[in-house]
Amino acid sequence: MERSRLFGLFVLSLALAGAQALTPAHYLSLPDVARLQNLLSQQFTGLDSAYYSVVGLSKLGATIPDHEGVCQFLKSQLDPMSIDSLFFAAETSQAISGCEIPVSNETRDILLAAVSEDSTMTQIHRAVSALSSLGLPLASQEVVGALTGRINKEDNVMAITLALQTAARLSQQTELGGILEEIEDLTARLDDLGGIYLQFEEGLEATALFVTAAYSLSDHVDMEPPLKEDQVIQLVNSIFSKKSWDSLAEAFSVASAAAALSNNRFHVPVIVSALGPATVSHSQPTLQLLVTDVMSQPLALANVLVESAYSVASKSVILSHASFTLNDGVFELNFMSSRPASGYYQFAVAVTGDTRLVGNHVELKVKVSTEVVVNNMDLSVVDKDQSIGTKTTRVDYPSKGKSSFTADSHQNFAMAFQLVDVNTGVELTPHQTFVKLHNQKTGQEVVFVAEPDSKNLYKFELDIGERKSEFNSISGTYSLHLIVGDATLENPILWNVADVVLKFVDEEAPVAIQPKTLYVPKPEIQHLFREPEKKPPTVVSNTFTALILSPLLLLLILWLKLGANISNFSFTPSTILFHVGHAAMLGLMYVYWTHLNMFQTLKYLAIIGSVTFLAGNRMLAQIAVKRIEKK
Amino acid sequence: MSNSVISVISRFLEEYTTTTPNKLKVVDSYLFYILLTGALQFLYCLLVGTFPFNSFLSGFISCVGAFILGVCLRIQINPQNKGDFLSISPERAFADFLFAHTVLHLVVMNFIG
Repeated sequence: MERSRLFGLFVLSLALAGAQALTPAHYLSLPDVARLQNLLSQQFTGLDSAYYSVVGLSKLGATIPDHEGVCQFLKSQLDPMSIDSLFFAAETSQAISGCEIPVSNETRDILLAAVSEDSTMTQIHRAVSALSSLGLPLASQEVVGALTGRINKEDNVMAITLALQTAARLSQQTELGGILEEIEDLTARLDDLGGIYLQFEEGLEATALFVTAAYSLSDHVDMEPPLKEDQVIQLVNSIFSKKSWDSLAEAFSVASAAAALSNNRFHVPVIVSALGPATVSHSQPTLQLLVTDVMSQPLALANVLVESAYSVASKSVILSHASFTLNDGVFELNFMSSRPASGYYQFAVAVTGDTRLVGNHVELKVKVSTEVVVNNMDLSVVDKDQSIGTKTTRVDYPSKGKSSFTADSHQNFAMAFQLVDVNTGVELTPHQTFVKLHNQKTGQEVVFVAEPDSKNLYKFELDIGERKSEFNSISGTYSLHLIVGDATLENPILWNVADVVLKFVDEEAPVAIQPKTLYVPKPEIQHLFREPEKKPPTVVSNTFTALILSPLLLLLILWLKLGANISNFSFTPSTILFHVGHAAMLGLMYVYWTHLNMFQTLKYLAIIGSVTFLAGNRMLAQIAVKRIEKK
Repeated sequence: MSNSVISVISRFLEEYTTTTPNKLKVVDSYLFYILLTGALQFLYCLLVGTFPFNSFLSGFISCVGAFILGVCLRIQINPQNKGDFLSISPERAFADFLFAHTVLHLVVMNFIG
């Protein structure tokens, strides 16, 4: 049931792409409503969950069990000093019958004190709602002043939505023009997603609560909210597209929005969907539609009529201004009485009867299906040079030809038939008309397409000689099947018409056709990993290391012979610092090789280098001075 | 023919040992050491193979670079070339030598792997 309704919705949304008027793509179907009620029927964990559950269920029109128990729970959990506690208890008590929350003077004072510009918007909303539900007097003008002041300070979506909701609880004489303007401001803040969804970036809960508050206030002051039809439908799409809700508060907001949209004075979105697949045929001639509000409740006053219905293929109009009859909650129309040919039809359906209806022009695609029968099936074997007269055999559906036909490469095998609609006698051209030849011994199948001529008579000719490659030149007995199928046919046909013996010249040895070996394990790939390079033996490396170091020895010997010495070494601080720094730099090189990366090395080098440079500069200057003095 | 070559070489050696100042001889022996080291590295590469190639390159380039810098130092501190390097004192030449060597060693160490 749900799948067929989803299919109806899918067809609807396909039509949506082409339609100019927007129609709702998402709504709460009966299973969705049941799921929502289930979520709201959970055990109470506190006053807030009791509020969401009880008030949410009452908005969905569900019965709340055990009013006494709920009332007891409220009274036991109530904290008379807390505004939130009073709000939840008061609102919930209004939803069930015969529950009075005791009120003291202190309670009243606390609630009245909360109505000021210095409290948060949530506090003002809860205090005003509690005062209103408990039947306590409140100064509406003061509330308006507090709200206006608060809106300036808290300029976010949730706060302004709460302000709207609060204003709806005030007396009718109050001047609410300023607050009413906020609806338009908030509407401007909604994000349009692809022309289909309209929602706040704050999320689903904010959007749903806004819709509830906007309609609540609009009903209260009896002024139409500044929402265009398309915007209302986009809001419906956004709010009801989510089918499982994360929290009780979210579920409550969706339930409130659903109630607001089904029952307000200005805009009621209409959901039109086909009951079952949108198909009619001779066995089922009526098209059945369900027309409901967003909560899948049938609309009380509604007239459904087809403005026009035209064939998709020929664009000719079949129906114009025909109305549906209401039969046990379902709107029915006998479409077959208009004698439509099989195929697809585009219906433009309009729902009237209530000026509040929104999204009430819907496009629906309806399929008319029929049954087919094969007439005048004539089989013959024709000689190519037409010297021998043709012998035509008539085979009647669904029986098989008594004798088998024999044909060889000099001949053509011919088939002619008609496909006719059982009910109307009209010739049909279905999408699939195939002729299949199946070799009984080897299992090979060859399929051809049969084409209709201008008079819708199907003809098929098989030139044996020309087509021998398709058959792999394998002679033998082939069973001939006719396959007919189409989306609009209720009885697809697979008919074994006759057996045909084909004789090919230069025949190969019959080879049994192997099924394609796609899914057997493939041969394993041997991957050759890159072999590490051969290293020379350690002896060789060690020998050469020693060899390389030997010139150093030679250098030292040569220097000694030349008389190089460090007798001029002066123990000045700059000299020592220079040599230490230089040694450190060389040490850093070694550490760089073993541990560090370039960045760290450069950092250390900069430090040591600058020290060494300064010291070296000093030292070399001193040496230069000494050298010039010596001269 | 070989006779003249030998006589040229011996004359050259004699002039060298007598005329070159000691400082330059020190630098020359350093250059000779660098040359030997580089030659031995190249010999190893020829005999044993180029694995690991980056290490061979870094070692060889180090020798070549050090040789070149040594030659530069020798040219600059040679008193006979004083006319060409009026603004560069021997100390300055040595400082340049050290700085260039620091950069060379940095590069060599990076590449040695």
